[in-house]
Formats: sequence, structure tokens, C-alpha cells
Amino acid sequence: MSRIETIISELSSISNNPKKAMEDYKKETGKGAVGVMPYYAPEEIIHAAGLLPVGIWGGQKSISKARAFLPPFACSIMQSVMEMQLEGVYDNLEAILFPVPCDTLKCLSQKWKGTSPVIVFTHPQNRKLEAANKFLAEEYRLVREKLERILDVKITDEALTKSIDIYNENRKVMREFVDIAAAYPQIIDPIKRHAIIKARSFMEKSKHTAMVKELNSELKSLPVEDFTGKRVVLTGIMAEPNEVLEILKENGFAVVADDLAQESRQFRNDVPLGPDPLYRLAKWWQEFDGCSLATDAKKSRGPMLIDTVKSSKADAVVVCMMKFCDPEEFDYPIYYRQFEEAGIKSLFIEIDLETTSFEQTKTRVQSFSEML
Amino acid sequence: MFTMGIDIGSSSSKVVILEDGLNIIAAEVIQIGTGSTGPKRVLDEALSKSGLKLQDMAKIIATGYGRSSVEESHKQISEISCQAKGVFFLVPSAKTIIDIGGQDVKAIKLDSKGCVKQFFMNDKCAAGTGRFLDVMSRVLEVSLNEMAEYDSRATEPATVSSTCTVFAESEVISQLANGVAKENIIAGVHQSVASKACGLAYRCGVEEDIVMCGGVAKDLGVVRAISKELKKPVIVAPNPQTTAALGAAIFAFDEVIGANK
Ligand SMILES: Nc1ncnc2c1ncn2[C@@H]1O[C@H](COP(=O)(O)OP(=O)(O)O)[C@@H](O)[C@H]1O
Ligand code: SF4
Ligand SMILES: [Mg+2]
Repeated sequence: MSRIETIISELSSISNNPKKAMEDYKKETGKGAVGVMPYYAPEEIIHAAGLLPVGIWGGQKSISKARAFLPPFACSIMQSVMEMQLEGVYDNLEAILFPVPCDTLKCLSQKWKGTSPVIVFTHPQNRKLEAANKFLAEEYRLVREKLERILDVKITDEALTKSIDIYNENRKVMREFVDIAAAYPQIIDPIKRHAIIKARSFMEKSKHTAMVKELNSELKSLPVEDFTGKRVVLTGIMAEPNEVLEILKENGFAVVADDLAQESRQFRNDVPLGPDPLYRLAKWWQEFDGCSLATDAKKSRGPMLIDTVKSSKADAVVVCMMKFCDPEEFDYPIYYRQFEEAGIKSLFIEIDLETTSFEQTKTRVQSFSEML
Repeated sequence: MFTMGIDIGSSSSKVVILEDGLNIIAAEVIQIGTGSTGPKRVLDEALSKSGLKLQDMAKIIATGYGRSSVEESHKQISEISCQAKGVFFLVPSAKTIIDIGGQDVKAIKLDSKGCVKQFFMNDKCAAGTGRFLDVMSRVLEVSLNEMAEYDSRATEPATVSSTCTVFAESEVISQLANGVAKENIIAGVHQSVASKACGLAYRCGVEEDIVMCGGVAKDLGVVRAISKELKKPVIVAPNPQTTAALGAAIFAFDEVIGANK
């Protein structure tokens, strides 16, 4: 196996098996893991405590037990998270960090069914005010205190500053990866791309950085071949399960950029510089734009996506609409109209973690490829 | 030269045989779809009616939900592209297509050359689809063929939910129990189908001419309800259930010609 294949296969197996990633971390460091609910929790605080932050993104699952606790129209990802909570999947986490930027999360945070302690905190939505930045820094101070108490560790400003550096380095390397991957769609297909990015949710970041850095340089040493398929940008919460990406691949699509909450939205901005690490982490949220979960009076998601389409030389956008996600549904008509005005084609597909039938997605994707 | 389009849908199987890309030699429908004996039967029927053999076909293209299971075909193309092709052939002024089949509803926007500019499909729910009408027809004991006639006699359309078939079915049953006239219930059912389809059409942007196709276009009650909702005239494609199969046969012809160039 070439070095590239080895790195991809290691990252893929981590992304497919977070449980094992946690066990390995425990073996290596003797330390446990802290769960991170979507979206945009300050993982750096967990990292600074020496524990492994582990993203909680649900999974492909049929829903039964969760039906007793959630309305049928709760989003697909939280249905699966609830189902897994009830199965005890998250009970080996030392704690869970729980931001509540949408109504579903707000309600869900109040009825966690697992046994791990849950730390709930709020992202302010009047984001551009200085007061909001101060408020969030204060929220993060409370998060740090609670973590210190639960984990019985001390999280110093120094450790935190170091962790922020490690995370910023990872963000930079991930942005590079996204650009490089776009030039090598024959090697980095949509499934591999997703796995390489998702692995960062379950790995100590400096380790992930090192692997992706090596992958980047290996890739760059290869000649760029002509790509005859279509190039697309994905937007939405996430593009799972793999069957969806498989359908894109079968129809000759390459993912050349994304605006997914599970992927690029997490690393397109760095944590800014400054003296106080908690204030810096809070400032990230203030500067972050173009996401349905971050109030944005200017509605810049559409223009940002249009810029991404241009800069990545994409042919179109694929909207990966999480089933019953109200924030994303509300955003859609706004950026759709902006796409129309800019002459950018888009395809709407539904993301449903429960489904096992993909005929509809196949028809839509095939029709779209015939249309482009 | 003959080409063939095979459209295997979720509810019906359709075959069109085309001569020289212009003359429709056969257009057959069997009202059962993928996974059934429908595909084979409709193929046999089209061949026997036209007196042609499979080997006479210069090219065969399959479309529809069951498109990948058609062994006889040389290629498969999605039903959205095929509907657009077939409808544009029959109605060159078409700009918006509404296709309602057995389990899906599609709105397709065309440019002036008949190319697909945008399309939207329903989510997985059966509300607003042919299946929804099939369920209602059974509950009401009114055949699909009679639905439009009942609708035309309605005096005060009942309200029927458009979000969920199961829910709508129990709604209709309780209206029947309360003595609401079938005519009015059927008009409500048609409105419910129309509101779902028009929702997709609005997303697409509605531009005239508006053409309906798919099996449900045979129910003129639905056509009237859609026209009323959009406040615009709606044209029913000739032989609306076979338009995608026709489109596939035209694609097949185009490919043969292209290959001959
Ligand atoms: N004579 C008819 N009058 C009204 N509706 C009809 C008639 N025949 C079929 N239909 C409707 O058409 C639907 C099937 O449409 P069709 O376009 O053939 O579906 P698909 O392509 O998905 O198999 C049926 O579910 C039925 O409701
Ligand atoms: S943002 Fe959407 S998908 Fe995510 S938890 Fe909220 S409603 Fe669900
Ligand atoms: Mg059909």
C-alpha cells in the first residue's frame, strides 16, 4: 500500500469507529474522553484538560426507542443521537459539552438520557456586540470550571493557549487539504474526503494534523490529472450516510469544497489572537458567519457560497438538507434565490440518517448530472 | 429505424416504440410497475402490437424508478430528463412540467430549447402522489376513472390534509361517516394533491406553458385543481402516462443519429 492509501485507510477506520479511537486514546494516555455535541463547542478547553474531545454526530440507525421522547418531526440527526443515548452508547464519556444554538438542541439538552454529566452552555445570538463576546467568554469560564470539577483537573490559561495553537494549526492544514483534495478527485473521492475530515472529530488534533499534513504533501507530489466529471460544493449540516456520497461518486461528481457544519464550517475560521484565551474562543463565534445557527442579519451564506463556487471552480452546489432541520430549512429559500440570481445551479437532496432506501437520491443526483 | 423507450415506474410499466424519431408506433401501459410482471408484459404487448421484434430496435433506453433493472436496455437515463424530452416533443411551448406518478411528484423547469433548468421532487411521503389517490379511491369506492366526474359535481370541497396519507385517509373516513358528500370529499382530495404539487412548482418558479404528465394527469379533477391553485391554464400532455417512455425513445434516436454522424 502506498503511503497515501495507508493514511487514508487509517483515518477512515477512525472515522468509522469512534469507540475504538476512544479506547486507543485511553490505552495510550490513560485519559478518557468528553463528548462534544454539535455545534461549535470550544473543544480546546477539553483538549487543554488532556482529555479526548469526541464529536457526537449520531449515526445511520433505525429509530424506535427515541420515538417515546421526541416528536416525529425532530431532525434526523437528533433522533439518532437520542436513540443512541437510550442505548447507552455515550455512557463511557466523562462529560458532555452541549451547546444549544437551535430549538431542538435547547429542548434535547434538558432531557439527556445517558448517565454522563452534561454541561450546557449558550451561544449568544446578538453576536456582533462586544457584550455578546463578553457573555460567551463568561459562559466558557463556567464550562471550564465545571469541567475542572467533573474531571478533577486544572485547566490553565497556558494549556488553553497551547491547545488553541494546536487547533488553529489543524484548521489551517484542513483548509489546505480541502483545496488540495479538489485537485485530486481521482484519489480523494467524496467518501474518502468525508472520512479524512470526519476523523478529526475523534482524534487528538495534533495527531490528526500530522497525518493530514503528510497526506497533503504526498498528494501535492503527484501530477494533477484532468477530471471529466462535475465539481460540486456541498452545503448543509452534514453529508451522510456514505451511500449518499457513493451516489455522487457513481454519477461522476467530485466534492471540491463544502460548507457543512460537520466539515468546513468548523475550520474555515481560526481562533483570533488576543491575551485572554477564553475571550479569544468567544471571539471565534463573533467572527463566524454564513451558518444557519449563527444569527446573521446580512444573510451572507448565499454570497459566501457563491464565492466558494467561483474560487473552487465548481459547476454547482448540492444542498444536503437534514430532514426536519428548521434552521437549515429557513435559510434555504434565501440562498436559493441568490443562487438563481447568480446563475448557479443547485440540487436539493434530503439527508435522513434513518433511511435505507436511496432510490430518490439516485434519481435526483442522476437527473442533476444529466442537467449540468 | 426504430428506437424504444422503457419507463418502469413504481406503479406502472410503459413502453414507447418510435420510428425515425418522429412517429409513435406503439405506446403501451400496464398498471403495475417495478418488481412485477408489468415490465415484461408491457414489452411483449408493444412488440406484438407493432409487429416488431426486440432486434429491430436500433437502441433501447430505460428510465423510471426501476430503470436499472431493465435487462433489455442499452442505457438508462433519469425520468426527469426523459419527461422533459418527451413533453417538449409533444408540447414545444412547455416551460413548466408537473409530473405526478405513483409515488413521486416532480416539478421541472425547462428553457426554451427544452433543456432541464431546475427540478424539485417530493420527499418520501406519499401525500399528493398517485398512491394517495389510489388509497382515496379505495376508501371512497369510486374508481380512478370516475374521480374527475365526481369532482365536477362538488358544491363545497371538503378539507383534506396534504401532509400525510395515513392522516388524510382517516380524515376522509370520518368525513364519510359524518355524511359529507363523496363529490365534495373528492374535490378536497384533488385540492390536497394540487397543493403538494404546486408547492414544488412554486419552488421551481412557474412559467407558462404549464404541462402535466404522469398517470395522475389522467384525472382531470387534479388538473383543474392545479390550474385553480396556480391561477393559470394547465395543458395535459397527450397520452400523459407515456411521456417519459417517449422521451427515452427520443434520446435513443438522438444517440443513434449522433453515433452515425
Ligand atoms: N385512468 C386513470 N385515472 C386517474 N388516475 C390514474 C389513472 N390511471 C392511473 N392513474 C394514476 O396514476 C398513478 C401512476 O402514475 P404513473 O405516472 O404511471 O406512475 P409511475 O411512473 O410512478 O409508475 C396511479 O397511482 C394512479 O393514481
Ligand atoms: S441545527 Fe438542525 S440538524 Fe442540528 S440539531 Fe438543530 S434542528 Fe437538528
Ligand atoms: Mg413516472
